[in-house]
Amino acid sequence: METRPKVWLKDFLPEDFRRGSHRFGLWIGTTSAPVRYTAQPSSVTRLPSGPAGWPGRPWPGQQQRCAGRRASAAEFSVSAFPSQASTTSPSHRRPPARKVRVARSRLPQDPVRLPRGTEGRRIPVGPRSAKSAKQDGKLQKTSPLCPPPRFSRNSRPSALAPQLIHSPGPGRLGTSAPPSTPAPAPAPAPHTPRRTRPGSRSPSPAAKAELMALFEVFQTTFFLTLLSLRTYQSEVLAERVPLTPVSLKVSTNSARQSLHLQWTVQNLPYHQELKMVFQIQISRIETSNVIWVGNYSTTVKWNQVLHWSWESELPLECATHFVRIKSVVDDARFPEPNFWSNWSSWEEVSVQDSLGQDILFVFPKDKLVEEGANVTICYISRNIQNNVSCYWEGKQIYGEQLDPHVSVFHLSSVPFIRKTGADMYCEVSQGNVSTSIKGIVLFVSKVLEEPKDFSCETRDFKTLHCTWDPGVDTALGWSKQPSQSYTLFESFSGEKKLCTHQNWCNWQITQDSQETYNFTLIAENYLRKRSVNILFNLTHQVYPMNPFSVNFENVNATNAIMTWKVYSVKNNFTYLCQIEVYCEGKMKQQYNVSIKMNGEYFLSDLEPFTEYMARVRCAGASHFWKWSQWSGQNFTTLEAAPSEAPDVWRNVNSEPGSHIVTLFWKPLSKLHANGKILFYNVVVENLDKPSKSELHSVPAPAKSTKLTLDRHSYEIWVTANNSVGASPASIIVISADPENQEVEEERIADTEGRFSLSWKPQPGDVVGYVVDWCDHPQYTLCDLQWKNVGPNATSTVISTDAFRPGVRYNFRIYGLSTKRIACLLEKKTGYSQELAPSDNPHMLVDKLTSHSFTLSWKYYSTESQPGFIQGYHVYLKSKARQCHPRFERAVLTDGSECCKYKIDNPEEKALIVDNLKPKSVYEIFVTPFTSAGEGPNATFTKVTTPDEHSSMLIYILLPMSFCVLLIMIGCYLKSQWIKETCYPDIPDPYKSSILSLIKFKEKPHLTIMNVSDCIPDAIEVVSKPEGTKIQFRKSLTETELTKPNYLYLLPTEKNHSGPVPFICFENLTYNQATSDSGSCGHVPVPMKPPPSQLGLMISPENVKKALGKNYMNSLGEISAGGTNLNYVSQLASPMSGDKDSLPTNPVEPSNCSEYKRQMAVPLCLASPPLTENSSLSSITLLNPGEHYR
Amino acid sequence: MDSWYPRMAKPWDSWGMLACLCTVLWHLPAVPALNRTGDLGPGPSIQKTYDLTRYLEHQLRSLAGTYLNYLGPPFNEPDFNPPRLGAETLPRATVDLEVWRSLNDKLRLTQNYEAYSHLLCYLRGLNRQAATAELRRSLAHFCTSLQGLLGSIAGVMAALGYPLPQPLPGTEPTWTPGPAHSDFLQKMDDFWLLKELQTWLWRSAKDFNRLKKKMQPPAAAVTLHLGAHGF
Repeated sequence: METRPKVWLKDFLPEDFRRGSHRFGLWIGTTSAPVRYTAQPSSVTRLPSGPAGWPGRPWPGQQQRCAGRRASAAEFSVSAFPSQASTTSPSHRRPPARKVRVARSRLPQDPVRLPRGTEGRRIPVGPRSAKSAKQDGKLQKTSPLCPPPRFSRNSRPSALAPQLIHSPGPGRLGTSAPPSTPAPAPAPAPHTPRRTRPGSRSPSPAAKAELMALFEVFQTTFFLTLLSLRTYQSEVLAERVPLTPVSLKVSTNSARQSLHLQWTVQNLPYHQELKMVFQIQISRIETSNVIWVGNYSTTVKWNQVLHWSWESELPLECATHFVRIKSVVDDARFPEPNFWSNWSSWEEVSVQDSLGQDILFVFPKDKLVEEGANVTICYISRNIQNNVSCYWEGKQIYGEQLDPHVSVFHLSSVPFIRKTGADMYCEVSQGNVSTSIKGIVLFVSKVLEEPKDFSCETRDFKTLHCTWDPGVDTALGWSKQPSQSYTLFESFSGEKKLCTHQNWCNWQITQDSQETYNFTLIAENYLRKRSVNILFNLTHQVYPMNPFSVNFENVNATNAIMTWKVYSVKNNFTYLCQIEVYCEGKMKQQYNVSIKMNGEYFLSDLEPFTEYMARVRCAGASHFWKWSQWSGQNFTTLEAAPSEAPDVWRNVNSEPGSHIVTLFWKPLSKLHANGKILFYNVVVENLDKPSKSELHSVPAPAKSTKLTLDRHSYEIWVTANNSVGASPASIIVISADPENQEVEEERIADTEGRFSLSWKPQPGDVVGYVVDWCDHPQYTLCDLQWKNVGPNATSTVISTDAFRPGVRYNFRIYGLSTKRIACLLEKKTGYSQELAPSDNPHMLVDKLTSHSFTLSWKYYSTESQPGFIQGYHVYLKSKARQCHPRFERAVLTDGSECCKYKIDNPEEKALIVDNLKPKSVYEIFVTPFTSAGEGPNATFTKVTTPDEHSSMLIYILLPMSFCVLLIMIGCYLKSQWIKETCYPDIPDPYKSSILSLIKFKEKPHLTIMNVSDCIPDAIEVVSKPEGTKIQFRKSLTETELTKPNYLYLLPTEKNHSGPVPFICFENLTYNQATSDSGSCGHVPVPMKPPPSQLGLMISPENVKKALGKNYMNSLGEISAGGTNLNYVSQLASPMSGDKDSLPTNPVEPSNCSEYKRQMAVPLCLASPPLTENSSLSSITLLNPGEHYR
Repeated sequence: MDSWYPRMAKPWDSWGMLACLCTVLWHLPAVPALNRTGDLGPGPSIQKTYDLTRYLEHQLRSLAGTYLNYLGPPFNEPDFNPPRLGAETLPRATVDLEVWRSLNDKLRLTQNYEAYSHLLCYLRGLNRQAATAELRRSLAHFCTSLQGLLGSIAGVMAALGYPLPQPLPGTEPTWTPGPAHSDFLQKMDDFWLLKELQTWLWRSAKDFNRLKKKMQPPAAAVTLHLGAHGF
């Protein structure tokens, strides 16, 4: 309770005092305080109206009023109590000498309170202080009763309670003044007695007697003052007629838990007002248990019924209360000493009797309190035998027993739990069965907050729009309390408006003349009222309407005039307007300008051909309150000629007799283009010989053009043109001399997307340097880029997003002379990020021997790799555990082990692998490496070393082959000689001269000498082993059907398996050779006609037939089929000697001797078609052959 | 029947085919699956009412949880079982088992109808004082469903030929939170309203289930009949 806002008495109007203690007026100000209500419905102008007057049925919100009063009452009681306790008049011990036990409050921190206008005395609360009790914050046990206060005889309680307000009755209320307060003596009424004696005990009710009593009082006082005799004084006072309160009636209001007292004062002079102090005592349960004592000062009139209320923290149903009252005159007209009257008799107040027949009651009934309040609840059980258990929010609580039927529970600092209230209930149970249940719902409201950020503004000087932050909503469910209401009150006009919204309200401005407003916003709920106040000048709270009709006039390339309008709200009201000019979302310019109605501002320093957005807002100029919303519009400035020359660079390719010059330029930035570039003009002028300049116009999107120039110096001018004009020219000079390309290329380090280039400064004057490179060197259109560097710089950093890892970029650094001639200074090459090689070289294995081989990959290009090739790794796998010298052991990614050899020179593209084992398998793999790593994994190539001896074989075979070749060549060259030597031509008998002789004869067949005509000279059998005979014979029989019927006199190679008998005809022609060699085998001997043919020939008819039939036909074929010639040995003449010979047509021996020549017989002739007859005949011929053996 | 059966052995016989067709057509109305064209009586509407009752039981479970939480403890405590004080006007769902058994269908349905008429009225009163919009929505939805149940019961009663109970003039339940009625008792009334509603729905489910069984046509007998008749 101590934290509650204090109520200051000075804030009350005198009327409030006059109207009684219940009628506290509300006052409005920033001081927040609980709502003060009066109990009178007549005070509707100052208070929320209540439907029912006092006493009566409570209207909604009555309980809150109780809470409000409670706060102030508690405050009063604190200051009133001590003095009362210290001054106890002995004369007041008279009321039946009772040892009054003053009740200790059962609510230490919520003691019994005095209603306003009452000087209350709080009964000490026992061993626990209010503060400590509050700190507990829990249910409080009822404390034992306290000893009663003692009043001194001369106590003047009202003097110590200046705040007291009384409520004697409607319309007759006055401020209470302490008895000691000097007050002007009222003019004596002609018909009223002048003096009374307040202490007089005269019971006369007549007015005259009362006047007399008053007179007595004054007289006595005067007398006593003179004599200063206290003893006498006492006696005289005892004789006065006392003004005793009588007809004390006490009524109750259960809902408000209040006692209402009414009484009259006896012996009051007729038509005279008298200030009196009434002391009221309230006891609980029994008369001796005084729980509250307080004084109530008021001006009493004759025959007036006095009213006074007291609110109990304990529901009245919970206990019987007793009330008594006594009085004393406290009027300046009656000097001291005054005497207290006797106590009235105790009035008992008991509500319990009026309860129904239920066995259990819980009080109070549903209650509405503010968060943090203390609440006392009791239950009354009719039957003390019943087992009653009580629960607060579902948890059992234990109270303090007030009497056998009543238990009390103290809930302190109740929190807000829910809008539907918190439940406290008790149930009577017999065994486990609940027979009765009673409960209450305690509605706890949140504390009403003061409205925050309260402000009012106007847009049109017709309506004021007030807004505020309402804070928490204090509405409760079950219609216990609606949301707080807001009321707007304007003090100058005295008008008031109930706001329908919780956070804003509109106020119509009715009087144009009113400039100053004093608004009070009152927030109010059933329990509390809060208010905030603002005082302002209307013209200071102007929130202007948004500007409109924003336009732009006279817009050109760099400036424009902006115009706008504002609503005219009041004459001579000046606005402050703010202009902002935006370009591409960024604010470029800001201006402030004061205007009346029509705004205009000259916008300058604008960029040509640029879209701008200009916007304006306004506020009151005299007193800034709030900007209006922005109003804006877009506009575009006109074009202007480009302001800067295009950045031009060239690439020169020298060809015989000409230069191919490609000019590149960068599009002008929007800032410099000042419009849309339509085309570029390229003017070429020959510097060496005066000639007419050439103009090339290139349409705009192009960024390059190609020129073919002869070998002269040319000056080239490039300008960019838009619709307004041309830009300054960019000049470049092409020298007649070809560009010096003989500059060594230098590698630059890997710099992760940035290339730091530095170069040596060019001797002589340079106007700058140019670094050019290709963004995409791997493509034909390599996208040439360049960067201009100042003349003093010798280094620059090239960094673009176009650089990709693994691409080699070549940079050329040119120096620009004063004549604008570019001279290549340096070349740099590098990778923005080196990568591992993308492919492995194609490997060739060469010079393979049994102990070594040579690897080579000479066609591998190191230039086109995604990094600088630093060398090669050669991996060799073999079955041997040990690596070869120079190789080191390495583990491959697949986990296999091998030997590795590192070549550090990227140009060394061959390796001799030696110390190998013959006839072994080696697997070999070569991969290049860069700083980023090796090339990709690939399969190993298998190499098998040959056998050691195979080489030896080569050594032998080669010379042999060579020799054979030589022999063959020799043979070829000397073929004639060899032929002549080894196989001379056999003379053709048909070419012999004898044929010419025969031609004269009719029978050409006679030209051939018949064998039978000849007598062989000799047949010599060299050897005739037995087996051979058989074999010879046998072979003949076996082959007679399939083979030509030759008689092989010479054995073939096939059946040459040993000493074979062969037959040599003794031919004189060959006789020498045969005899020389002893064998015919080595001499190419034409096959001789077999004996069968020979046999056939033997028959003269056969020979004739054959010759006549075939020979002549075959003559022409002899030369053609020369190779098939069979030479038939022509026996010169049949020689005598053999008996078995079959001589037919014996020829002259002389004739035979003449023809010792061989005759070539065509093969076809020599081997006639085999017929059965022929074969048969041959067989038959064989038989005679046996005769040769 | 017996006349066509032997002819089935010779289906190529056209007279046999015709006889077969005729017989099938003759028996079609006897197949229960096809016999859906006629009036089925109150069976389906009882089933629907039963289903609606079960649905409302489910719906009430969540609504009661929300509303009792809104009331706060002790009303939202599961073991809170106060004696029924006040709330006398609420129709009681709990009856003695013997009494319940002795009720006939008409009485049963009448009691259900009357009870829900009263409960619906109280429920609408509950809706009026609910503070939160969400709760009001839930209550309104439930009221609509309960109105549907009431209509459904009326439909069953009409189908069975029972007259609807006419409320006596002046006895219509009204929601009057009198001044003497304390908030606690009001909360208690709400608690009992929901509780009685729950019990009523439970009881109705039982009632309609019983009625459903009673009204169900003996489908098994039909099947047996068909079996004996045809095959």
